[in-house]
Amino acid sequence: MGINVLEIFEYEFMQRAFLAGMIIAVLASVSGTFIVLRRYSMISETLAHSALVGVAVGIVAGYNPLWMAVIVAIISAWIIEYLRGHFSLYSDAILAIMLSGSLAIAVIIVSLGGAFNNSLFSYLFGSILSVSKEDVITIFVFGSLALGVLLLYAKELYFIAYDEEVAQVSGIKIKFLNFLLVTVVAIIIALSIRVVGSLLIGALMVIPTISALQFKLGFFKTSILSLVFAIISVACGMIFSYYFSLPSGATIVLSVLSIFILSLAVSKK
Amino acid sequence: MPTNFKVPIFDVKNLSYEINGVNILSNISLEIFNAQYIAIIGPNGGGKTTLVRMLLGLDKASSGEIRIFGKKLKDFKDWYKIGYVPQRASHVDANFPGTVLDIVSMGRTSQKGFFAKTTEEDKEAVDSAMQKMDIVDLKNKMIGTLSGGQRQRVVCARALASKPEVLILDEPNTGVDAISQNRFYSLLKELNKVQKITIVFITHDVGVIADDIARLFTVNQKLTTCNNPKQALSCKEMSELYGIDAHLLHNHKHGH
Ligand SMILES: Nc1ncnc2c1ncn2[C@@H]1O[C@H](COP(=O)(O)OP(=O)(O)OP(=O)(O)O)[C@@H](O)[C@H]1O
Ligand SMILES: [Mg+2]
Repeated sequence: MGINVLEIFEYEFMQRAFLAGMIIAVLASVSGTFIVLRRYSMISETLAHSALVGVAVGIVAGYNPLWMAVIVAIISAWIIEYLRGHFSLYSDAILAIMLSGSLAIAVIIVSLGGAFNNSLFSYLFGSILSVSKEDVITIFVFGSLALGVLLLYAKELYFIAYDEEVAQVSGIKIKFLNFLLVTVVAIIIALSIRVVGSLLIGALMVIPTISALQFKLGFFKTSILSLVFAIISVACGMIFSYYFSLPSGATIVLSVLSIFILSLAVSKK
Repeated sequence: MPTNFKVPIFDVKNLSYEINGVNILSNISLEIFNAQYIAIIGPNGGGKTTLVRMLLGLDKASSGEIRIFGKKLKDFKDWYKIGYVPQRASHVDANFPGTVLDIVSMGRTSQKGFFAKTTEEDKEAVDSAMQKMDIVDLKNKMIGTLSGGQRQRVVCARALASKPEVLILDEPNTGVDAISQNRFYSLLKELNKVQKITIVFITHDVGVIADDIARLFTVNQKLTTCNNPKQALSCKEMSELYGIDAHLLHNHKHGH
């Protein structure tokens, strides 16, 4: 298959999928770095399931599912942050409750709307066939916005990840930045479910950073390495998805897992 | 000291703190003025950490009032003026992706605007902080690979890099070797005398710095102030409250 990998770019749907996939790789790895360092990896799983509620509403009511996913994921992220701040519940418990709650609501909406079909399947596991031109534009616009915000506050977010209290005492607006981070992550996750699928996006956010961390490098190098890992995984995953007609989310996650295992092996030498 | 007409940097009135009905601190009042060097001592669990956490807005007092630079705690915005080294700051995740330089540079973060580049002033501040804490050699090492004492010095360097007007240090010397400790004490003295930085220093090692400090606070649920630390032992209330650790002060006297 190595002979004519380039042939896949002759198809317009593959060009779109690749474009969307690359943007998502960048977004997922950059935001994933902050999420992992804050020990908040589970939030990506939870928000991905909340995004499904948006997808369900979109499919059943005939709105753009991607847009609805973004909106519902953001609302869910805010509810999580609010609960974390105002009730002394355990934050992993909050995430678990929101995750199953969201999934239940999504399933009910889809059942009532009679929309259990292939289109829903593609939102669960990702699909390179289904990325429309409109999707690419949505992903690009919201994605640039989200990335811009992350880069704008990268230093502050890094400081908070290292020591939240000292960051607070040095005058950094902790509450605002925590809200901002979960909002951006919600947007990124909602955008990603087209290509990676809501059941699998968590892995793409977390594993590139975990792999990069194995090499014990400084912050900048770790971020870059994580970015490279994410891009390679998405590219390989999409190529495999095309050649073997498999859901792209699954092939992307297997690619990123392989990179993780390789990283472990190489760094532990 | 003719400072009474000035606005204190910290002005605390009738501060109390309780958790689940247990009084941790009761009825604390204190004033800390510009360029003063204050040491806080007290037995383990006496409430020293709790007191400075309240001063910094990290814990909320049950009752009482705190003013910083004349402003109410909740209205105070100029946090960049304050450098804080928390107790046990050296406990970091072994995998945390940060070099010593990355961590010390965090001291400059809050003074940046959007998209701000690292300026010459930032670099200068970071370099000089690393020199002061003698960690220039460790610059490119990962924080997770350092020893506890080395990490503690990194954390102090981060606080210094922000060029604070007030330094609050909660037992920053834990695990630091004797030579580095003495260097650190001289540094604090110099920062206070030359650069007029206000220092609030929680320590169990007050004997060594008794000559440098202006006042000594003892915290054991209540606060006792001693304005003449060199004669700390003769402060009656102090020895009553703090009898158990009074040998620290004794050591100092023998040393002379
Ligand atoms: N979150 C908490 N819940 C319950 N009790 C607490 C909490 N934090 C502190 N305390 C109690 O408050 C008291 C004061 O603690 P604090 O850490 O301020 O003491 P300290 O003087 O700094 O001691 P050390 O010298 O060991 O650092 C202790 O009795 C401690 O058990
Ligand atoms: Mg303490």
